[in-house]
Amino acid sequence: MQERSCVAEEGAVRLYPARLEEVGQLSEHVRALCEAAAVPPEAMIDIELALAEAANNIIIHGYRGRSDGMIGVDVQIVPGSVSLELRDQGEAVPEGLFSRCRTISADAESGRGVGIIQSCIDQIDYRSEGGTNRLRLTKRLSR
Amino acid sequence: MTAIITMDGDVALVEVQATRFDAAEAPAFKADLAKGIDGGPRKVVLDLTRVAFMDSTALGALVSLLKMLGKDGSLAIAGAQPAVRRLFELTRLDAVFRLAETVPDARALVRG
Repeated sequence: MQERSCVAEEGAVRLYPARLEEVGQLSEHVRALCEAAAVPPEAMIDIELALAEAANNIIIHGYRGRSDGMIGVDVQIVPGSVSLELRDQGEAVPEGLFSRCRTISADAESGRGVGIIQSCIDQIDYRSEGGTNRLRLTKRLSR
Repeated sequence: MTAIITMDGDVALVEVQATRFDAAEAPAFKADLAKGIDGGPRKVVLDLTRVAFMDSTALGALVSLLKMLGKDGSLAIAGAQPAVRRLFELTRLDAVFRLAETVPDARALVRG
């Protein structure tokens, strides 16, 4: 049952269809790797929250309803940090999106995703080259 | 069915069934609320005991529920798990929603 929607692997990168109902499977993959590496539960929660928001943004804003899009995920766990790289071929995000501060009204029903990523993740690196967008989310682990 | 809605006197109990309450589930949840809550009960207990993970789209659906109930309505949330509590704290919506440990505690909150 687990990993059923991973349709391909390119090296360490797993590919998932860019659909909202697949984000849970992508998340399960990352969670399994983190659990195997004994990543603390508090850090795992933040990684999972950021991952969900990042994947949702790629699906909703990057691919804009295209049904043939894919999301690649590469997880690197080293002593002291977990790093996820999400790759997609959708529209690139507006420049500076991940470094901008934003204020969201309490009664807003959307628009909190990037703020959640910023709060959960220690370092966010984004680049778009040759039609591929790469979002790297690094969470430092206190041991 | 993402949410099961039952009445206990004047309080509606909304039990979210999904263990992962996210952007894939939120539209069905909002549809369930539109059928069971909109224009009806004004006191609601939302039971998130089963929910291990929630994203900001599902959180947006809860904001929509709060607005649906209006100024005279009352909402309390029961059973938020650690990842769900963390989402409320990060977004500072723990100051907007009333969080209780259990359904009876939440029911007491909405009954005032």
